[in-house]
Amino acid sequence: MKNLSRYNLIVISIISLSVILPWIYWLSFEKPIPKPFVMYSCVDDCFMIRGSENGKSYRMNEHGEMFTREEFEQKLPLLNIRQLMISRTLPDSIKGVEMDPHVVNKARSFYRYKPSTKNAPKPGLYPMFESESGRAKLEMPEDFFRINSRMEFIDADRNKINEAKTALFTGALQHFGFKFPAKMIEGIPTTRKSCDEGYFVVDNADQVFHVKMEQGQPYVQQVEIPKGLIFKHIGCVDFRNKLFYCYLIGHDHNIYIITQDDYYLKRLPVDEFNPENQQLRIYSDLFNYNVIALAEDFMKVTVLDDNMEKVDVFYKSWKKRSERPEGKVFSYLFPLQLNLVDENNAFINFYFHLTKGFNWIILHIVLLGSHFLIIRKRKAKLKNHIVDFGIVLVSGLFGFLAVNIFPNKLND
Amino acid sequence: MLKSMIYKEWLKIRWFLIGAAILGLFIIAYMFMNVQRSITFQGANAVWYNILFLNKMIFGIMKYVPLLIGIGIGVAQYFPETVNKRIKLTFHLPLFENRALMMMLSVGMICLLLTYLLHFMVFWMLSNYYFAHEITVASLITITPWFLSGLAAYFLVGLIVLEPVWKYRILYAFAAAMFVPLYLKSGMIGAYGPINIPLALLTVLISVSLLFSAYRFRKGEM
Repeated sequence: MKNLSRYNLIVISIISLSVILPWIYWLSFEKPIPKPFVMYSCVDDCFMIRGSENGKSYRMNEHGEMFTREEFEQKLPLLNIRQLMISRTLPDSIKGVEMDPHVVNKARSFYRYKPSTKNAPKPGLYPMFESESGRAKLEMPEDFFRINSRMEFIDADRNKINEAKTALFTGALQHFGFKFPAKMIEGIPTTRKSCDEGYFVVDNADQVFHVKMEQGQPYVQQVEIPKGLIFKHIGCVDFRNKLFYCYLIGHDHNIYIITQDDYYLKRLPVDEFNPENQQLRIYSDLFNYNVIALAEDFMKVTVLDDNMEKVDVFYKSWKKRSERPEGKVFSYLFPLQLNLVDENNAFINFYFHLTKGFNWIILHIVLLGSHFLIIRKRKAKLKNHIVDFGIVLVSGLFGFLAVNIFPNKLND
Repeated sequence: MLKSMIYKEWLKIRWFLIGAAILGLFIIAYMFMNVQRSITFQGANAVWYNILFLNKMIFGIMKYVPLLIGIGIGVAQYFPETVNKRIKLTFHLPLFENRALMMMLSVGMICLLLTYLLHFMVFWMLSNYYFAHEITVASLITITPWFLSGLAAYFLVGLIVLEPVWKYRILYAFAAAMFVPLYLKSGMIGAYGPINIPLALLTVLISVSLLFSAYRFRKGEM
């Protein structure tokens, strides 16, 4: 039992050390990766790039032509419209379209997706707003709904199910062939939006429905989707131009939209986007959509025109953290890293990151030798320490510290 | 003799245990009084909304309470054993030493578990009264590692207090200070879902850690 208690303590120490030591290392030595800001210029029809290298910032286009800040802002007039208006350098028109700030702002939108948005605990309960209340402001309802074996409304004040409303909405969903329970419920559950468009719900058969409440009555609409297409994420939007309800990310790694009112599912001509480990940013203006996929070691900007047809693609890569000098030093020190949090996941878990290669073996052998000397100095029998040697050889610094915090003097 | 040993352990921890149980109940009562007040002033829908979508932890105040109770009971139970090395008397009883130690550990652990169970059940019942199932489940997932941290701290306090050599006491405290925060990471409500079972298993692993330092103690390690 005494040996068991010691090895248990060593296990928990190795786990703790493999969280703490790499964390301290990165806290001390990690350097930022200079990811550039890239946007398509509607003036020059080419990519504009702003970034920094060796501590110096630069502004240039994709052909390498350098610009001052003012010149750079003029190349992206729709992004910098307020600044250009102040400095009176905003052109009257671009591509024959008059530069009316109201029109420019209406067309402008921004959407952001992070994998941790999808990989996160879901609330399970959602407020169903009244979409046609006739009031200027949206009001928070008194109840919340869930969709399990039926669409249940729970009155928050009484913490009891509103059976009448539940039956009404459940019946409406059943009428449209909804298969309970829901797999995904996505909407914009806040009163701070221009209007309410309810929720997009994926049922148990991966069908997509639009569900909202109009004057107390359910509004349900099924969206026609190709057979076999399963959505991994739906990001509802509230843009001023009201062209579409949401961005959808399919299991086929394509990005889609559902157009407003006619529920047409349209695929964006963007190459593979992996929602598990890439971020997505979509900036739109009067002329273009800049679809930016951001991964650990590259960015890809796909520019679409206002009809969502592909115009151009920009790609830039950089070294991963593990391939940079500080990552290489890390690979000589630690065989693995254990994290409780992950940038692609909002759940707390044990995230193992094995170090590529076997550079750490050198340190492990040195530590093995050191441990051998410690044991010899104590004049202990080596055969009683074979397991400890194994632990040091496999887990390196973590194991070396652990076996010496809890020394094996039990059998000496 | 076992009865007497259980009684001895009970005598050591009873007042702290009763105080901790009452304090925990007061804190839970205080939390739900705040909930009631928020519901009265803002409406239940606003309170639900804040928890579901704004990640407001109404129960955040109890995060370190189980940890403090675990440390307190550990100190109350094991520290008297180190005064004049009284634990050596236990080792002289006609019992296997490990059995005697496990008996000590079991008494403290069961008392601690019963206190936690009381707090957990009261929290569960009150949460069920005010909130829907989804909020209660996510809340219970969130507070579970806090209770596990208390259990882990109790086991580690036994390890540290019974260790005879100060140098190692400090090293054990250092190891404990690295390990216990694994239970207390901040995150979204319900974020601890995937890790609660692995953390419970790790807590079981360290439950016998007391035997390590107790063995060193009775060997007369200096």
